[in-house]
Amino acid sequence: MVEMDWSIIPEYFDAFMRGLTLTVEIAVISIILGFIGGILIGMLRISKNPFVSGLSSIYVEAFRGTPLLIQIFLVYLGLPQLGIEVESALVAGLIALSANSAAYQAEIFRGGVQSIPKGQMEAARSLGMTHNQSMANVVIPQALRNALPAYTNEFITMIKDSSLVMTIGVLELTLTGKLISAETAQPFVVLIFVAILYFILTFSTSRVLRYVEKRFAIPGMMGSE
Amino acid sequence: MATPIIECIDLHKSFADHEVLKGINLKILTNEVVVIIGPSGSGKSTLLRCMNLLNEPTAGKVLFEGYDTSAKDIDINAVRSRMNMVFQNFNLFMHLTALENITLALQKVKKVPKKEAIVLATEALNRVGLTDKENAFPGQLSGGQQQRVAIARCVAMQPDAILFDEPTSALDPELIGEVLDVIKHLAETTGMTMVVVTHEMGFAREVADRVVVMDDGLIIEEGPPNEIFVNPKNERTRIFLRRVLKEIDDMDPLKPKYEGVTLEPEAPSVTFGEPQMMKDENPPSDQGPSGTLGRWFGFRGGRKKK
Ligand SMILES: Nc1ncnc2c1ncn2[C@@H]1O[C@H](COP(=O)(O)OP(=O)(O)OP(=O)(O)O)[C@@H](O)[C@H]1O
Ligand SMILES: [Mg+2]
Repeated sequence: MVEMDWSIIPEYFDAFMRGLTLTVEIAVISIILGFIGGILIGMLRISKNPFVSGLSSIYVEAFRGTPLLIQIFLVYLGLPQLGIEVESALVAGLIALSANSAAYQAEIFRGGVQSIPKGQMEAARSLGMTHNQSMANVVIPQALRNALPAYTNEFITMIKDSSLVMTIGVLELTLTGKLISAETAQPFVVLIFVAILYFILTFSTSRVLRYVEKRFAIPGMMGSE
Repeated sequence: MATPIIECIDLHKSFADHEVLKGINLKILTNEVVVIIGPSGSGKSTLLRCMNLLNEPTAGKVLFEGYDTSAKDIDINAVRSRMNMVFQNFNLFMHLTALENITLALQKVKKVPKKEAIVLATEALNRVGLTDKENAFPGQLSGGQQQRVAIARCVAMQPDAILFDEPTSALDPELIGEVLDVIKHLAETTGMTMVVVTHEMGFAREVADRVVVMDDGLIIEEGPPNEIFVNPKNERTRIFLRRVLKEIDDMDPLKPKYEGVTLEPEAPSVTFGEPQMMKDENPPSDQGPSGTLGRWFGFRGGRKKK
């Protein structure tokens, strides 16, 4: 048994923080792009046009039904073969993660919209509001509230799954940890520390979103005081 | 004679191969209060929802102020903004306060500036007696209060007509009165054109200018309330009315609970005279009916005509 050497943590602290920062950046960007993409694809998914809804349903099934790792490799290694140059491993990772998250978030959004009783839309339409006005002012604000717990789940998953881009050489937190542990021969110490950092990220995300949930809870409805 | 504001011409509506409306011809005149009654499933809601195109008619058409609502060049949103609807389940926007429920469409549809919209919304809430509930969310209001907000939401739009689809049938019995009073008051003070689907026969008789009876997708009889309620011509109208009254009678807490005991209910203030139909027919229950019926058919004060 090799002695635990915790002193490597302060020693490599800057490197850990660089990895952590990149992980946060990757997660935040792909969550945001996935959120926007999810709303767009989710809107198409509930379209009355069978072609449009069929297309978006194929998108969702494709990304949900294949490993994220394969999607990352496909973007990084596969696209250049088709003549589509991807700027860097980081960009390839962001594309794959965002596109994947958009598929999941499209389903979350659709579920949120479909949880809103039909009467809400009908009441808005019966006052003369257009379909888009009714969606934007009546249905979506309520749908997003209802979908918040599911979004929280997806955001936490994204933080953890961002570690997969280490496989194409993006020097985020997990790859940083792996390199440091190889260099120092202290895998236990390093990996525990990396795990703690991930936990801090996911735990604070879930706390923040809990706060948002409470803050935007509709008075007089379930979940409000 | 006033001009029709809403006119249904040979209106048909089918869901899949189930024909729900089988050719409705109906004219609603400006300032008229029309009450639609009829058994469950007869197509009353569907008829209202075809009027503002929440349901698209399968055949026939609806004219609003003379314009064919299904014509390509008609802005259906403009039509709906002038012909609002009050729903059985209120359908208030759950994430908005009472005030915001009212200002939303004013701002989005009528493009009223926010400040003015708030003034109009406050006025509308005053009208329905909810001055102090501006900032309450629907989930914090009773059913009766929610329905009054929903009515205020329509009133603030200053529509030409309001369609009411069983506005009180989702309410606890003790809350029905406050909502009916608001509708009654609206009819008396504004002369607003109203089409009301309801099972509240006392209200129908009191407020309606005309009663329309539907059965199985067709209008089987229409006329002034004293004619329909007192001396209906159609046999199915009689059967329907008798059944409705029987149900009300069974729920009546004043109805004697002991066999052989007959209580005479409080004397009603009947303005329309004794209901004739029940004298011709078998009484709805085997106790002395006229007192009870008189109470349900009776009402206080008619609608003031201007
Ligand atoms: N969206 C729909 N899809 C399929 N069938 C429908 C739909 N809406 C109504 N129906 C059917 O149409 C018939 C008439 O319904 P409608 O709601 O108009 O009756 P109603 O007279 O309002 O009855 P109630 O007094 O119970 O409200 C019913 O048999 C109902 O099942
Ligand atoms: Mg109905």
